[in-house]
Amino acid sequence: MIIWSIAKTTVGDALRKKVVQIFLVVAIGLIVISLSFSQNLAFSAKEGSSVDLYLLKGFGLGLMALAGGLISLVMGVSLIPQEIERRTIYTILSKPVQRYEFIVGKFLGAILTLAICMALMGTVFMGVIAAKAYAANASQVMPAVTAAGGLESTAAQVTKVQLFDVNSLMGVVNVFMQFVLLTSVVMLFSVFFTPTINFFLGLGVYVIGLMASLTETLAWHDPDTSPTILQAFYTVVHAVIPNFDKFNQMNSLLHPEMAVTNMPLYTFQTSLYGLIYALIAMTVAVIIFEQKEV
Amino acid sequence: MKVADAIVIQGLKKVFKGALGDRVAAVDDLSIQVSQGEIFGFIGPNGAGKTTTIKILLGLLFPTSGKLQVLGAPAGDNETKRRISYLPESPYFYEHMSGYEVLDFYCKLFRLGKPARKKKINELLERVGLASDGKRALRQYSKGMLQRIGIAQSLINDPDLLILDEPTSGLDPIAHKDIQDLIISLKQQGKTVFVSSHQLTDIERVCDRVAIINRGKLVKLGSMEELLHIGRIIVTLTGADDAVLAAVKAVSEECVMDGNMLRVYVRSEDAVLKVLEAAKGKATLVSVVPQRQTLEDLFVEIVREARK
Repeated sequence: MIIWSIAKTTVGDALRKKVVQIFLVVAIGLIVISLSFSQNLAFSAKEGSSVDLYLLKGFGLGLMALAGGLISLVMGVSLIPQEIERRTIYTILSKPVQRYEFIVGKFLGAILTLAICMALMGTVFMGVIAAKAYAANASQVMPAVTAAGGLESTAAQVTKVQLFDVNSLMGVVNVFMQFVLLTSVVMLFSVFFTPTINFFLGLGVYVIGLMASLTETLAWHDPDTSPTILQAFYTVVHAVIPNFDKFNQMNSLLHPEMAVTNMPLYTFQTSLYGLIYALIAMTVAVIIFEQKEV
Repeated sequence: MKVADAIVIQGLKKVFKGALGDRVAAVDDLSIQVSQGEIFGFIGPNGAGKTTTIKILLGLLFPTSGKLQVLGAPAGDNETKRRISYLPESPYFYEHMSGYEVLDFYCKLFRLGKPARKKKINELLERVGLASDGKRALRQYSKGMLQRIGIAQSLINDPDLLILDEPTSGLDPIAHKDIQDLIISLKQQGKTVFVSSHQLTDIERVCDRVAIINRGKLVKLGSMEELLHIGRIIVTLTGADDAVLAAVKAVSEECVMDGNMLRVYVRSEDAVLKVLEAAKGKATLVSVVPQRQTLEDLFVEIVREARK
């Protein structure tokens, strides 16, 4: 009851932040506008789908990732310090509330806020994809004039595009899980850093996490030779910093030949990875917060 | 250490580390005992260590050394928090919520069920004079109304011990008086109130005992009677002639003629009797007023002395 009450209050507070509202409205607006961006692009029946539909998916997911990342950072960095600054934490922790209940409640509230934002953006995104797919299918069913002078549908010669694209939905889930993970990291940092430092630190961790394949390459060393200090450093970086690149599905949507064969299974695995990492980050945050003076 | 003590602080020390690694003792060897049912004033200049001490009592800060007990349990004990409440200085609540919703949130922290919450919230809003404003968002509340919500949230659990940090700060005279009355009514219900305030007249009026701290150290501790000694007594006469004036001058510390009024300043009750004897039949007695030192006088005297 206590954790849920704190979470609900956090959601109400976070959704009223002007900055969160602006990111959300701008992202939704741009996703809607993206429909008209791609209207003039040439239709291609390549592999049964349209190029502009792929671009639309990449653009939409990219926007959601940008808005989600900013919302996650802006909200996550201030969740604990703001409570201390406003002194609301004093009236809460002086009640029979365990410190872990406070942290978990705040984290759950942040996740719910992200979920609401993602659900709004995701619904609009899926709607835009469906509208574009519908338009693509309609343009493929152009009647052709036969040699006999009659009309004949060419629809049977091309593959129809699905209105509801599961892979795009999985892409949205991946973006959401990416920011669940980022929120847990910035909340952990917020136990000891000021919001400004935390913002840039969180952003740094996110960017490095997106370059996980690069850090992995830099960390690799020949088993026959002893690793250099730099390789050891990159090994630690690669092991400690979460791999945000795992959640990035924009490339596979843009380039279907690179797509994961079983997207729901892949999403389940990445979600599990994100949840386990977030659980570890929150456990560390709780342990530190138990000893923290407020 | 008595069982009846609501708060026991023994040799409390709290040292903060500065940014440059320097150490500052915010509280230094502080020892206080507050009995149950007592209204205890905790005063000191800004930076004296009052809020630090309160935060340690609530388990928000941890002591560097010393022993603390609150209602017989270590400070910060979660079960004991069910019996205590705290009102911080200038409290902030979630502005998007209404007064009712904020109190509902705090009620949930005590795991109260829905019917109990509803009953309790309506009672509290009535008690703090916000019954008709409960549905308004807090962003529309005045500072005094927010302070009343703060008081209401501190009464949710019908606490045995209330810790109030500047409860009358920024309030208008009516709200100020209401809070004073509330503190007195809490005492009548047998509650213990630990109040920190710069409003020394309030403290003097409502508190049984007071502790004055300066730079983290306890400077004075005692009841008002023990701390504030009776000063001079002013005997005011009218119609006194030169003969009376000469007679009272001999037994008084100071005499001041103000028109028809003669003010005679003496130090003891015996001296008052001597003045009255000298004036008997020759002048009219208007008043006899003992001048007691105020808490403010004592506070200023102590702090100035400490700064020398």
